[in-house]
Amino acid sequence: MIEAIDKRLRGACRWYDCLCTQSESTVVSFRDNRLHAVRESQNSGCGLRVNIDNRVGFSFTNDASTPDGLVDRARATAPYGDIDDYDLPGRATLPATEPYRPSIDSFSVEREIDAARALIAELRGRFPDLSVDLTASRATGTRRLANSTGFDASYRHSSYGISIHANYVFDSGARLLVWEGTSELGPVDYRHLLDRLITKLDNAMTVRTAPSGKLPVLASPRAFASLLGILKSGLSAKAVYKGVSPFQNKLGERVFHEAFSLRDNPLAEDSPAGYPFDDEGTAAADKIIIDRGVIAGFVSDLKHAARLGHAPTGNASRGYASLPVPSFSAVNVPGGVTASVGLIEGMDRGVLVEQFIGLGQSNTLTGDFSANLDLAYLVEGGRIVGRVKDCMISDNLFSLLAAPFELSRDIERVGSATLPFAFFPAVNYTAN
Amino acid sequence: MRPALEELAPRIRTALATAGVEYAEVRISEGSMTEITLSGEQVDSLSTGDFAGGSVRVRSGGGWGFASFNSIGDIESFIRRAAAIVLPSVGGAAPGIRRTPAISDRVAIQSRIPFTDVPLDAKYELIAGYNAILRGSASIQTTRATYRDVAARSLFINTDGSELYYDRSYCGIALAAIARDGSNIQTAGESVSGYGGYEIAQQRESIAERAVKTAVDLLGAERVGGGTYDVITDQKLSGVFIHEAFGHLSEADFIHENPRMREIMTLGTRFGVPELNVIDDGTVPSLSGYVPYDDEGVPSRKTHLIRDGILAGRLHSRETAAAMDEELTGNARAISPMAQPIVRMTNTYIDNGPAETGELFDAVGNGIYACDVIGGQTNLEMFTFSAGHGYEIKNGKRGKMLRDIVLSGNVFTTLNAIAMIANDRAMFGGLGGCGKQGQGPLPVSFGGPHMLMKNILIGGVQR
Repeated sequence: MIEAIDKRLRGACRWYDCLCTQSESTVVSFRDNRLHAVRESQNSGCGLRVNIDNRVGFSFTNDASTPDGLVDRARATAPYGDIDDYDLPGRATLPATEPYRPSIDSFSVEREIDAARALIAELRGRFPDLSVDLTASRATGTRRLANSTGFDASYRHSSYGISIHANYVFDSGARLLVWEGTSELGPVDYRHLLDRLITKLDNAMTVRTAPSGKLPVLASPRAFASLLGILKSGLSAKAVYKGVSPFQNKLGERVFHEAFSLRDNPLAEDSPAGYPFDDEGTAAADKIIIDRGVIAGFVSDLKHAARLGHAPTGNASRGYASLPVPSFSAVNVPGGVTASVGLIEGMDRGVLVEQFIGLGQSNTLTGDFSANLDLAYLVEGGRIVGRVKDCMISDNLFSLLAAPFELSRDIERVGSATLPFAFFPAVNYTAN
Repeated sequence: MRPALEELAPRIRTALATAGVEYAEVRISEGSMTEITLSGEQVDSLSTGDFAGGSVRVRSGGGWGFASFNSIGDIESFIRRAAAIVLPSVGGAAPGIRRTPAISDRVAIQSRIPFTDVPLDAKYELIAGYNAILRGSASIQTTRATYRDVAARSLFINTDGSELYYDRSYCGIALAAIARDGSNIQTAGESVSGYGGYEIAQQRESIAERAVKTAVDLLGAERVGGGTYDVITDQKLSGVFIHEAFGHLSEADFIHENPRMREIMTLGTRFGVPELNVIDDGTVPSLSGYVPYDDEGVPSRKTHLIRDGILAGRLHSRETAAAMDEELTGNARAISPMAQPIVRMTNTYIDNGPAETGELFDAVGNGIYACDVIGGQTNLEMFTFSAGHGYEIKNGKRGKMLRDIVLSGNVFTTLNAIAMIANDRAMFGGLGGCGKQGQGPLPVSFGGPHMLMKNILIGGVQR
């Protein structure tokens, strides 16, 4: 495909690039405690971006036999495209990172079925009425990017994922849904998730109440990851360029509390979010975005880096059917001094939050959020005393991160991020 | 070149006949799309593309073997591959599926102006015109104006002899204005979509005008304080409310294998006030959730979920209908031919009640009028739904504008908190949609009349 495109476009445009992806996956899924489906999938496609007279056109296909149609369509859209006055990366020495482990080939459907059955049996041994959904998946694939400037590189990727939802329905109809998961480059033993699920279920079997007011809130790493989604959108060069980021004109300024730093590292070892080069061919690099409260940079692709006059950060992301946009890879937030256990013990009365409902359906551009607490515990006298439900927390994330707050010493991997617990001393809490 | 669907059909029938399986179905789809997104003065993306994909699903050991692919020319190998996925039996009688008599049909969406006949520059000019309206105030920081059309031809064949062709054209726009005053940034927007042609995207200037006005007005709106309020929801928010509050709980895949849920969701149980009627209806061609046949080849229908406050029905796939020994409803839907069908809503709404809209305002006294929608989410018991904006109501009169209205409820109490239902139902769709188990956004529509609900929890600042 790429060779045929090159023949058509070389010399006929300012530049082009073509991203071709192919992937295969297997998913074993259990629903309501029993094996429900085994799925195999194959997917491939190519997206072509072409710059003619400084305007960019784009098209995609998943039919490798029709490169001419792809080229014709991309050329036809170019006159309407944005003015893109930047050049693509050429040949370069790229980091050796490859988010791939040969051990992915050891994935066995039979073994996954056995492991899942064992875990479900053990969970139901503790909670006989529990209904468990579990998926175990493997995926492998390659990404190849080539452009008219001489860049032509590819890399393999692999992933192994486990997702477990445990659903407990009380006689009243009240529902307790706890979930755990892991995302790795190759198969791992995931029995540690069992202990976490049991702890969460044990902690949530009793419902407690707290009156509305301002309460200390400890966000688990998973909840903190959800909250950081609100922040990350404002740290994209695209949002900054459009003027919808509150951090526009704040580069180099202290915006958050000095306890808070945030890095984006696509070279992180063992991360499925890693890559040697981004989806425009810019070499991947570890970079600091928030340095002890100071905005140190934005994640950018070529287009928005050029428009802001910044250097591209190697954060362009796209599937074959879309144009690139700036996106975070593996985010990490360094921890603080106190262990999470200590933060809980230090709470006279507060809430430990694990899961939200409806977070992000507020005016998140300004950092505002208001969400129901899907899974949260009341902490009294330094210990978890039960679950709070039918309640909400609402606040401004940027204000919470600017005021004094604490991060735990212990750090957990959550999806592609590695994060501590985050303790906010006073958050608006509303209950029925 | 890819083979045409008509060429593939006999090959699929032959391969299925020799696959040696209890039940199997094949779905194939191919088509093309155009999408243009403008943002302020920028062209965010403008792309055209073609796609093909398909899947084979085979009943095995009380579960499914499933193979998905986009090399549709290799269909025989994928049928063999799916047939080779044998799920180990769990012992005892394997759960079955509800079968249907063979159906052969061809369905085609009628378009007044086929968008495949409209040149790209006309589509660009149309959305650029809306974008210019969106930029029509000095307070507008940026905009987002999207035009999308998708034309697809689909084929469904199963081992029970059904063969369905579906020519589908889907078109819509989404328009949003983002206003800014210092650190205060406010967004307002609307989207329309549906099955049909280019006409769906035309003459929508009023949407852009409303978006600009609302976004600019929101800059001066007050944040709502946290607490419980008597709330009047407009038709759109009533629709999202019922989608989240009850629609998802009606999806039988959450119920059919959970004994306690089956008991709680026994048909005939009271779930709301006697004026409450909730319906899912996939048969309405003009709405975003139109499904002539679902992705298991089952005809869609109108299903009463709640009738006069009493649980009256639920939404089914072949698997859940068999497990609960209930009728098929045509609600097994997949986000693409490469995804497994799961139980989904189509066009879901609260039916008209007896009240005039004005009577709700007379009755509420003091409260909040919550309008428009940002989104909603549920865990099947508790749920949230966010209004785009709202107004304080004092002595039955609409007062100052409010923002950041995120409402929260519980299915076991909130449906009984509905005090009045008006008679002005309207339906809404758009380019967004519903998400479930990683499949989204799936086109659905939702709607209802204005409603008055008592003591609704709204998150916010504690004063």
